[in-house]
Amino acid sequence: MSTAPPATIVLSERKQARREKWRLVFRRPSFIVGVAIVLMWVACALFPELIAPHNPLDYRTGKHLSPRWGHIFGTDALGRDVLSRVIAGARDVLKIAPAAAVLGVFFGVILGLMQGYLGGWVDLIGSRIVEAFLSLPVVLVGLLAITTLGRSNPVVIGVVATLFTPIVARTVRAAVLAERDLDYVTSAKLRGESKAFIMFREILPNVSGPIVVELTVRMGYAVFTVATLSFLGAGPPPPSPDWGAQVSDTYNNLIADFWWPTFFPAMAIATLVIAVSLIADSVQSVMEAS
Amino acid sequence: MKRFILKRVASMIVTLWLLSTIVFAIVNVLPGNVARKVLGGMALEEDVVRLNARLGTDKPLITQYWVSIKRVFTLSFGDSYRSRVPVSDIIFPALGRSAKLALLAFIITVPLSIAAGIYAARRQDKPIDRVIVTTGLSTSAIPEFVTASVLLVVFAVKLKIGKAYANPPDGASLFGQLEYLMLPALAMSIAYFGYIARMTRAGVIGALHADFTRTAVMKGLSQKQVMRRHVLRNALAPTIVVISTSVGYLIGGIIGVEKVFNYHGLGQTMLTAVNSSDIPVLQGAVLLVGMVYMISTLLADLLIAYLNPRIRLENAR
Repeated sequence: MSTAPPATIVLSERKQARREKWRLVFRRPSFIVGVAIVLMWVACALFPELIAPHNPLDYRTGKHLSPRWGHIFGTDALGRDVLSRVIAGARDVLKIAPAAAVLGVFFGVILGLMQGYLGGWVDLIGSRIVEAFLSLPVVLVGLLAITTLGRSNPVVIGVVATLFTPIVARTVRAAVLAERDLDYVTSAKLRGESKAFIMFREILPNVSGPIVVELTVRMGYAVFTVATLSFLGAGPPPPSPDWGAQVSDTYNNLIADFWWPTFFPAMAIATLVIAVSLIADSVQSVMEAS
Repeated sequence: MKRFILKRVASMIVTLWLLSTIVFAIVNVLPGNVARKVLGGMALEEDVVRLNARLGTDKPLITQYWVSIKRVFTLSFGDSYRSRVPVSDIIFPALGRSAKLALLAFIITVPLSIAAGIYAARRQDKPIDRVIVTTGLSTSAIPEFVTASVLLVVFAVKLKIGKAYANPPDGASLFGQLEYLMLPALAMSIAYFGYIARMTRAGVIGALHADFTRTAVMKGLSQKQVMRRHVLRNALAPTIVVISTSVGYLIGGIIGVEKVFNYHGLGQTMLTAVNSSDIPVLQGAVLLVGMVYMISTLLADLLIAYLNPRIRLENAR
């Protein structure tokens, strides 16, 4: 009984520190800029009909019109409005990338907790598998897996999540190793708590910092990976106006100086990944500064 | 040192085996008639049977698995489904071309980004440091194919500098090849610059704040000596790790760049193999990338151990 009050004070201190850190994150200019850009794209993804000036599939306008009034981003080889297609293209990437990142982090956390806390053969086998996965570029295995499994949104999400799992697991494992011998874990063990309880109720909240960092960083990589896969022909299936697919469909015409159908979706990808990585960097630099 | 190397090589062999198992699993996850896939729905049944027999794809999975593992360790990946040419005759020249591109990107990036990282670290939190960090963060977040497309538009099309089609003609001089390879190499460098610069910066800042640096300054060494003998020596270890692990990353990014510039490297070879379900070529190429990656990681570990005796001793135990 005498040890209980200090323990709760220590715990609430850690909670307090976490809250303070979030306040610091929200104040960083790069975080605010990043969130603003992401929100703009989220709006495009949610209400493309309200924002886009034309129907993204309407091909009745002239082909390859250069940027002008009415079509400020020009039209593509089929006469479709590039601006409207860029706006409509936000939807797929903003559906797939966050889903993949969240799933990957979810499984990575479970695997990392088990590896770090249970140790022994779970850790040994887990580490070997993680290492094998890490020795391949994500884009490459993704390409291989998606072409064998077929192109569909669930497949893309599943494959990217699977490839992220070991990366997350490695981070979480390292964080858990630093926690597993602390007093609160020992006392939970002495109370006779189950292993699952200790892992998920005791350790998990205390490694939430690195997990949040990992989630935001993975979010950025997920956008990067989905865009690249879709450029390589392993993204969401056609006729989705996905940005990567738009670049892939049009880059062969660059040589003929039809730069706008490629340039604008490429810029859309660039702004989104930069925004997400600004957010991730703000979270990371605050969380990791102790 | 010998034990350290042996241990690393042993763990590499285990990883390599796991890797080939993962690739085999991915490729064989969908049961299907390989020859039928290659020849298409219109092919005659007897042709399909004959091709399956030639490819060995009519054998039980376990036999195929054994064959595929054996291939990894003998570096002979069988014949291409499409062209009947040995896979190694396709992937090794392609690897050579990709390596040429990657090497050029390396030569551009590494000195520049390390210099920028050191420069930023010594001016920590000043405006120029912020600029380098934010630029690096942004450029390394952008997929390489995006950078490549933009460079192609701006330089090859608008300014007429460099080539949009990156394959140098046969017999081009080294300098002549440079004109062709410049833009794709630049696209990779831009993606890569921020990553190395940030790592170098973090390493140098860490070393600048370390006790040994303070001691070195206190005992009256010149600033140059402190930087060279104390700060950089310690700070560059993480940078070397980043450079070596990004070899795999470089290869991942190269696929997109090669596609944009139509460069016939390993990335383009893989894409062609994917589109024509030429599984042996694909398998060989993926495993080759894995091996290149593992060897570069091993070399990096050895280099770090050489630079830092503490790690060497710790790992030998």
